[in-house]
Parts: sequence; C-alpha cells; structure tokens
Amino acid sequence: MSNQTNSYDIPADRAYDREHHMWAQYDSASNQVTVGIDTLGLASLGDLAYVTLQAVGMPVKRGESMGTLEAAKMTGDLIAPVSGVIVARNDSVVKNPSIVNQNPYSDGWMVVIKPSDWENESAQLVSDDGLPAWVESEIKRYRSQGWID
Amino acid sequence: MNWKLITDDGVAASFGLAADDTLAQRVGMNLSQPTLRLYTYHSHCALVGRFQNVENEVRVEYCRENGITINRRPTGGGAIIMGADQLGVALTIPGHDEDNYSHARELMGIFSEGLVRGLNQLNVEARFRRKNDIEVNGKKLVGLGIYRAPSGGLLFHASLLVDLDIALMLRVLNTPFEKLSDKEIDTVAGRITTVRRETESSISLDEVRRVIADGFVSAFDVNLVPSDFTVEERAQITKLEQEKYLSEDWVYQTTAVPDSNGSAKVKTPAGLIDVSVTMAGATIKAVFIGGDFFAAENAVADLESSLRWHTSQPEKVAATVEKIYQSRKNQFNGIQPEVIIEAVTKAVARARVAESQMRADPYGCYVNPGGQYA
Repeated sequence: MSNQTNSYDIPADRAYDREHHMWAQYDSASNQVTVGIDTLGLASLGDLAYVTLQAVGMPVKRGESMGTLEAAKMTGDLIAPVSGVIVARNDSVVKNPSIVNQNPYSDGWMVVIKPSDWENESAQLVSDDGLPAWVESEIKRYRSQGWID
Repeated sequence: MNWKLITDDGVAASFGLAADDTLAQRVGMNLSQPTLRLYTYHSHCALVGRFQNVENEVRVEYCRENGITINRRPTGGGAIIMGADQLGVALTIPGHDEDNYSHARELMGIFSEGLVRGLNQLNVEARFRRKNDIEVNGKKLVGLGIYRAPSGGLLFHASLLVDLDIALMLRVLNTPFEKLSDKEIDTVAGRITTVRRETESSISLDEVRRVIADGFVSAFDVNLVPSDFTVEERAQITKLEQEKYLSEDWVYQTTAVPDSNGSAKVKTPAGLIDVSVTMAGATIKAVFIGGDFFAAENAVADLESSLRWHTSQPEKVAATVEKIYQSRKNQFNGIQPEVIIEAVTKAVARARVAESQMRADPYGCYVNPGGQYA
C-alpha cells in the first residue's frame, strides 16, 4: 500500500521523520533500519547534486547529522531519523546522487543503522495510520507555496 | 524585533567565511542574535561552492602568482570572485521552531526579498529567479545560497555585484572558453550585470549597502542595530578560522562526484548553435549557449539559467527548454527548441563519456574523498 498523490509517492511500508523528510524502514529480523530521503523532501530541496555520508562504524544520533548534501544551492546536513551505529553506507549514491533523485526508496537508500532505541524513537516518526493525514497536509502546504502543481 | 547589523570591509576570506559559519551555528543554539552582515572581502579572493573541486573551478597557479586567496564557502553553487566592489551579504537566523523557515525552496525567495527591495530603491528592476539568482532583465546581478547548520541555524549568503572586473574574473576562474578574447569577455558581460551598470552611475558600495539594509528592514519588519561581534563570537570565529577555513583539508577537499565538460555544435538554417556544458556527475552545473545565430540575449541567458543545477535526464531537459521557448517564442528568431535540445543533449552525452574515460584512468584528477571534511 502507498499514499500516492500526483507523483509524490510515500510508501506505507516504512516510517518518516516529519520535519526532515527522511524515511526509516525497520527490519525486525536483523534489527537494522535502512534510511533515505522521501519524495516530498526531494521536492522541497530540488534534485541532489552532492551527498556525503558518515563512514560505517560511526555513531549517529536522532536529529543530528549523518552526512551532508547540496541540492540546487541549498547545502546542509542529512539528519538521522534514529540513533545508533552506521553498519552500511551506499557508496553508489555518494558517487552518483542522481540515483536518489530517481529511486529514493530503493536504490537511493543512504545508510543502514543498527538502532540503539528503536522502540522509543520510532514512536516519534510518522507511520501507518498517521501517514494519510500527514501526507495530505504536507502536499497541501507545498501546493499552497507553489512548489508542486 | 532587533537584528544585529555588522558592516566590515576588507576581511580575509578565511575570516569572512568563518564568521558566517560561526554565527549560523550559534544563532541556531540561541547563543547569538539574528545578524545581518553586509561586508566586503580583501581584493581579491576566489570562493568555490561547498562541494566543488578547487582545481576544476579556479586557475590555482594564476591565483598564487597574483596573491588571490582561495577558499570554500559553506554554501553551494559555483565559484565566484569577491573583493572591494562585491557586497557580501550574510543573514543568520534561527531555523527551527518556525515553520516558515523549514523548507528550502521557499527560503531563497523569502530571503531575497530584502535584496530586491533594496535594489528597487535604486530603480534597479531586480527580481528573484528560482532557483538561486536575482536578475535584472535576464542578467544575473546576485548569486544566492543557503546553508543549514547542524544546530538548525540558517545562513543566507549572497554576493551582490556593485561592479565587476570581468576580465579578471575570467583569468581567475576556469571557463568553458578555449581562449580569452574581447569576444568572450563581451559574451560574459551579456549574461551578468552590476549595480553601477544598471544605475549608469558610479554609486559607492556604502550607498548600495545602505539601501540593502533598508530593504531588509522593509521586507522583514525588523530594526537593524549597528553592532560588532561579541567577545565570545570573535573567539569562536578565530577558532573555526584556524581549524577549518585556514585548513587545506577544507579548502582543497575533493568530492566523489566527478566534474566533466562536453560541447556540441548543431548547424541550422538560422545559424550555428554551439553548446558547452559543465556537469557534476549527472547534474548539469552550467550551460553556455553560443554560436552565430541571432536571438535576444535575455532569452539565451534565461535558458542557460534554467538549465543550471538541472538534471541531465533528456526528457526533463527537453521539458525545460520547451517551457522557456514557449514563454519567449518570438525571441529565438527561428531557432527551434528541438535544435537546442539536441545540442544540449549531445553536449551532456559527450561530458558523460569524458567522465567515464577519466574514471577509467587511475591517474585521473578525480580522487576519492579524503580529509576530515569529506
């Protein structure tokens, strides 16, 4: 199932950081979280031109930097949606950020994090029943600001 | 609401950038007040964008021989030269807890309003052009960038051309031109403008600074309080300058995304179209459209600007070219959009081929990231 409005696909099989538009997909078997950016985040930033990601083994904290980006002329940090340790990094997107622009939910994943407090931190993400209202309000806001048709 | 106003002139590149970075970080932590800095750099320095490779953007040897310092901005975009005739604008404000400031694309337009209103006071018909320029009748007058610090503080950076030595700029920066003659200088002069050119006057930088300050007061309904850095701010700026902006690791870092160049020529009954593109990976960083065809200069500049920092996906390039063409149909004098699309697409393809050849060369100039800032 996904919440699809125009081309802004927000798959319902994962959770989202409502402020930074990062997605987090938890795999209970491995207790790992795959992280990327969602299509609304990309719509706001514009296509990514550069991405850097912290190295495997580095600790990250929810709400803090796990890398940097440049999109159009906006530069800034990629903000981790959960705390933990980076156990995998997608070097392909570092070398070719257009992968993120084209497939943000699959090939465009950024890091895999071994979470340190998934139970509590996942409650701060938006998912499942909370998604439709959140997506609707975000799209409405983007549209009112002229960023999407 | 009060903002601090700091005006300083002739600053070193390392200090100027460290100050902006520090204030962005501190204002996000509520350690500093919102600050508008209107300043100039010591003539001259070359500043590359956050992720650019210095060697690709700047003629390093020329800079060394002529005492032109090189540094790296925290904001993105292309390389620029700054000096006594270019006004640096740095607005630092808290970025969190305010919904209006939470999304990147709208920020550029909001922040630009201060500059636009100031320039309008001089009867300069400036307007914000998405994504990141302020232009006058299709010619770029101000370059814009935004950096969001880890603390959430926002830095809005702008470089306003009060005047510009174009010949010097073309000697300092790498350009798509194979040679540098009056023709190339005239071509660049047709794409950009300055306050002095627009006002047909020798207006002073101080006067421009005054109207820009007024523009921000008007746009944001704030009081600007002339100030200086606090003792704490200055100490933190000095530390960051030493650790980051005077560090070769920061200035000469490289990215994993390779730059490449490509060009293509297409003959048409209306004339020859000669397109050069500069790519960052699969993103078009810059396009130059030349040749011997006749078209309104502003229309060509508009097209070039629309394709900057644009995906190279052919269907999206075609859509953008078509859109500009439709809005300026009568200004291309018989040059059809299909021809422009063909030339841009060919130039992009050639750049991509050049890039893959360089990647295959283990001694090529593109290396993996290194150093603490990679």
